[in-house]
Amino acid sequence: MSDVAISLTSVRKSFGATEIIRGVDLDIPRGQRHAIIGPNGAGKTTLFNLISGRFPVTSGSIALNGTPIDGLAPHEINRRGLSRSFQITSIFPRMTVFENIRCGLLWARGYKYSFWRLLGRQKSLNAESERLLERLNLGARRNLPAGLLSYAEQRALEVGITIAGGADVVLLDEPTAGMSHSETDYAVSLIRSVTEGKTLLMVEHDMSVIFGLADVITVLVYGEVIASDVPSKIRANKAVQEAYLGTEAA
Amino acid sequence: MSADADSLPRVTPAAADMVTPRPFLREHWPWFVAILIAIVMPWFFFNWSTGRHSGFVLTMLSEIGLMTIFALSFNMQMGHTGLLSFGHAILFGLGGYCTAHALNAIKDGGVWLPTELVPLVGGVGGLFFGILFGYLATKQRATAFAMITMGMGELVAAAALMFMGFFGGEGGVSTNRVTGVSLLGASYSSSWQVYYLIVVWTVICVVAMRLQTMTPLGRMANACRDNFERAQFVGYDPRMVRFYQFVLSGFFAGIAGGLYAILYEIVTFDTVAAPKSATALLATYIGGAGGFFGPILGTILVVLLQSGVSLLSNAWLLYVGVLFIIMVMFAPGGIVGLIAAHAPIARIGRLRELVVPYIRVLIPGLMAVLGFIALVELASFTTIGASQGKKLALGGMAIDTATAMPWIVAAAALILGGFWLRREAAAFRRRWDALIDEAKAQGAAA
Amino acid sequence: MEVFLVSLLNGLVYGMLLFMLASGLTLIFSMMGVLNFAHASAYMLGAYFAFTISLYVGFWPALILAPLVCGLIGAAIEMYGLRRVHKNGHIAELLFTFGLALVIEKCVQMTWGLVAVPYRVPAGLDFPLFSVYGTNFHAYRAFMLLISALMFVSIWLALTRTRVGLIIQASLTHPEMVGALGHNVPRVFTLVFAGGTALAGLAGVIGGNYQVTEPSMAFAMGPIVFVVVVFGGLGSLTGCFIASLLMGLIQTFAIVLDYSLADLLKQFGITITSSTPFAEVLNVPIPRIGALLPYILLVLILLVKPRGLMGTRDT
Repeated sequence: MSDVAISLTSVRKSFGATEIIRGVDLDIPRGQRHAIIGPNGAGKTTLFNLISGRFPVTSGSIALNGTPIDGLAPHEINRRGLSRSFQITSIFPRMTVFENIRCGLLWARGYKYSFWRLLGRQKSLNAESERLLERLNLGARRNLPAGLLSYAEQRALEVGITIAGGADVVLLDEPTAGMSHSETDYAVSLIRSVTEGKTLLMVEHDMSVIFGLADVITVLVYGEVIASDVPSKIRANKAVQEAYLGTEAA
Repeated sequence: MSADADSLPRVTPAAADMVTPRPFLREHWPWFVAILIAIVMPWFFFNWSTGRHSGFVLTMLSEIGLMTIFALSFNMQMGHTGLLSFGHAILFGLGGYCTAHALNAIKDGGVWLPTELVPLVGGVGGLFFGILFGYLATKQRATAFAMITMGMGELVAAAALMFMGFFGGEGGVSTNRVTGVSLLGASYSSSWQVYYLIVVWTVICVVAMRLQTMTPLGRMANACRDNFERAQFVGYDPRMVRFYQFVLSGFFAGIAGGLYAILYEIVTFDTVAAPKSATALLATYIGGAGGFFGPILGTILVVLLQSGVSLLSNAWLLYVGVLFIIMVMFAPGGIVGLIAAHAPIARIGRLRELVVPYIRVLIPGLMAVLGFIALVELASFTTIGASQGKKLALGGMAIDTATAMPWIVAAAALILGGFWLRREAAAFRRRWDALIDEAKAQGAAA
Repeated sequence: MEVFLVSLLNGLVYGMLLFMLASGLTLIFSMMGVLNFAHASAYMLGAYFAFTISLYVGFWPALILAPLVCGLIGAAIEMYGLRRVHKNGHIAELLFTFGLALVIEKCVQMTWGLVAVPYRVPAGLDFPLFSVYGTNFHAYRAFMLLISALMFVSIWLALTRTRVGLIIQASLTHPEMVGALGHNVPRVFTLVFAGGTALAGLAGVIGGNYQVTEPSMAFAMGPIVFVVVVFGGLGSLTGCFIASLLMGLIQTFAIVLDYSLADLLKQFGITITSSTPFAEVLNVPIPRIGALLPYILLVLILLVKPRGLMGTRDT
C-alpha cells in the first residue's frame, strides 16, 4: 500500500467562469493529522468536495492510497476507505441514534442490499454499534430520534457515523463549528481518540483545535496553497499572517 | 426538509428489537387480534335464514385485503424511500394480466399450478416489470422520478387499450379461477373461499413487508430518503437502494394484482390506469405514510368510501378529495400521525382532559360536515342525479332540490357550524398546546 | 405538400395553445417548486366560465371576465391553501394541488353536469379565413394564434421591462436569494400563481370551443402540459415555448401520418407477418400512438437530460 494516503496533483476546479481551486499540489502521508485553514471563500470545502467525489475536477488528478479516484462516485470512494463529515450536520434525523451508528456499519460489515436478514438478530453488528455508541458517550440517547439531539451531540454522532465503517482516511469539515468551549474540548479529545492510527484531514477555523490536533497545517488562500508546514512554522509565516490580517498588521 | 422537532414522528420502531424479547404473544398481540377480526368478520354479515354470506360484504372485504397489499407496496416506495410514484398501478395491473393468462393456461391444462400459489405468478410478473421500469425510473429521484412514473403510467395505460395480444384490448382478459387444481381441494367457486385465500395472502404479504423494513435494505431506504449524501458516505449507492426497493414493491403489487384477477376473474385496462395509482396514493396518505400501518387504515377507509358511499352518492370522490386536502393541510402525518400526536399527553396521563374539548369541537364540526354533505348532495342530485332520473330522499322523505328551503338549511348548517367550529377549534388548540407544553416539561416529549 | 402545410398550421395553433397553458405552469413550477396539478383544472374552469358568461353577455366580455375569475380563484388558493401547506414540503404541495384537481373536477360535474356543454365558437369568428390547397383555415384558429401571440409578447415585455418582472425572472432561478434580498416574495408568489392561473383560464376560454368542453378535459390535458414543462426545462420560458410548439407539431403530424413501423421496415425489404414477434406493436399505425409520443419523449428526456431542453435548474 502506498505511503501517501491522499495525493492531489495540479488540481483545478472552476464553476462556470469562476476558478475556485487554482492548481493545488498536496501530498498527505498515511497516519498524518493534517489541517487545512484559510480565509472564508478560499475553497476549503470545495477541496473536500473534490476529494470525496461530490464534484468532478476540472483538471488535475486525485489519488487515494496510490489509486486515482477523480471521477468516481462518492459511494465508490467511500468503499475504498475514505469517509467524511459535513459542514452542515448530516445525519439521519428520523432514525434513532443507535440506528444512525448501525447504518454506518452496514456496508463495511458486508450486509450490502440484503432484504432478508433481520437487523434485530445480528448480534455482533448490534454489539459493535453499542460499543461505538458508548465511546461517543451517547449511550443514554440511544433511542432518541437523532434530530432531537443537541447540536454538539449531533456533531459527535456525525463523527461517529463517519468513522464507524473503519475508513482509514477521514475528512472532517469544521467538526467543532458552533460549539462552546467545553463542547469543543470534548470534541477534540473524541476526534483524537477515534482517529488514532488513521489519516485525518480536517478543515477548521478554531486555532486552538488546530494547534492541538494537527501535525501539519496547509494554508489555502483563493484556491492556492500558500504554505504547508508544521504548526510552529505556520504561525511565524509572513505570507500566512498577511493573508489573515492584511499587510498593515503584518 | 429540516429536522424540525414537530415534524418528526414519535414512533421508534426498530429500537425495540434490541430490548429483551418479551413473549411472542404479548409482543405481537395486535397482529393476532387483527387476524382474528379478519377471519370472523364475514360472519357478522351472515344471513342465517338463507345460510349464505353476504356476497357484497365478502367482495368488499376481499377488496380491502388486496388493496391493503397494494397500498403497503406503494408505501415501500413513498413512505420508506421517498419515491412518489404516479404509475404504481402498472405493476399491479401487469401482475393481474400475467395471472389471468396463467389461470387460463392452467384451465387449458397446459400448466400445473394450484390456485393457492397462483398469486405468485402475479408477484413474478410485478417483479419482472419492476426491474424493467424500475431500472429506468430509479435513475432519478424526487420530482423527476415522479414525472417519469407518470409518463410510464400513461404509456402502459394507453398500450393496454391498444394491444390485443397481452392486454385483450378494451375488453380486457377474462379468466376463470375454478381451475380444479388446488392444494387444499377447494374449488374457489364460492366467495368465502376466495376471501380466506386473500386473507392468508394478505397476512403473508403484510408480515413480509413489515419484516423487510427491519432489514439492511429497508433501513438504508429510510436513510436515502432522509439524507442520500450521508447514505453515500456510509458506502451505499442510493440509486441501487431505490432500484431494489422499487423492484420489491413491484413484487408485492403484482401479488395484489394476482389476487385481483382471482377475485374478479377479469382484468381490464383500468387496473393499470392513473385512477388506480391515485387510489394507492390517497389511501396511503390519508392513513399516514410515515410509519408502517398507516396505509392499512387508509385503505380500509377509502374502500369503504368507494364501495359504501358510492352506492348512496355520486360525489364520493369529492368527499375523498376534500378529506385528502384537509389531511394534507392539517394532518400531513395521516390518521396514524394524528393518533401518534396524542402519545405525549397519554404518557403524562392527562388524555382525559381532552374529552370535553373534543366534544365541544365535534358538535359544530359535525354540523358543518353535515351541512357540507347536504349541499353537495343537493347539487349533485340537481345536475347529475336529474340526468340519471334519481330523486333525493332522506329517510323516506323526498326532498325537492328545486325549492330554496333545503339549500338554505344546508348552507346555514355549513356556515354557522363553520364559524362555531373556528371558535371551538381555537380553544381546543390552546388546550392542546398547554398539555403538550406540560408533557415537554415532564420530559414525556422532547 | 398540402397536408404538410395544413398540418403545420394546425400544429402551430395547438402548440401555441399548449404554450399558453404551459407557460403559466413553468413560471409557477420554476419559482415555487410546486408542480400544480390543478393548473389544467384552471383551463377547464376558464372554458366553463366563458361558456356560462357568454350565455348572458356574449363571448367578448367572457374573454376578459373568465380569466379574471380564474385569477382570483388562483390567488385565493395560493393565499389560503398553498401557503399553509408550503411548510410541509414540495410533495405535500403537489398532493394538495392533486386533491384540488379532483375536487374541482367533481364540482364542475355537479354544476354543469357530466355531459359536454355546447360551448361554441362565437358567430363573429365562425367563418373560413383563407384556403390552403382546398382546405379551409378557420378564422377562429387565426384568432387563437393572435391571442396567444399577444399574450406571449405581453408576458415577455412584462418580465423584461417591469421591475416586478425582473424580480420574477430572478425568482425563477434563485428564489431563496430573492427573498434574502428583501423582496416581498410571498406577494410575488401570489401574483405569479394568480397570473399563471388566469393565463390557463384564458387558454381555456379560447381552447374550450376549439376542443370539447367536458369535465374530463382537465385530466386529459394535464399530463401533456406537464410533459411540455418538464421537457422545456425549469427556469426557461424559451424552452417552454420550443417544447410547446414541438409537442403541438408532433401530435398534429402524428395524426396525419398513417403509417406504421411495419411500413417503414417494408422500405428496407423486411416484411412483417402476423407470426412475427411483436407484430402487433409494429403494425400499429402512428396516429394511434400519437397520444403516446409525448410520454415517450418525457421518459427519454428525463433519463438523458433531466434538466430538460433549456433548463437552468434542477427540479
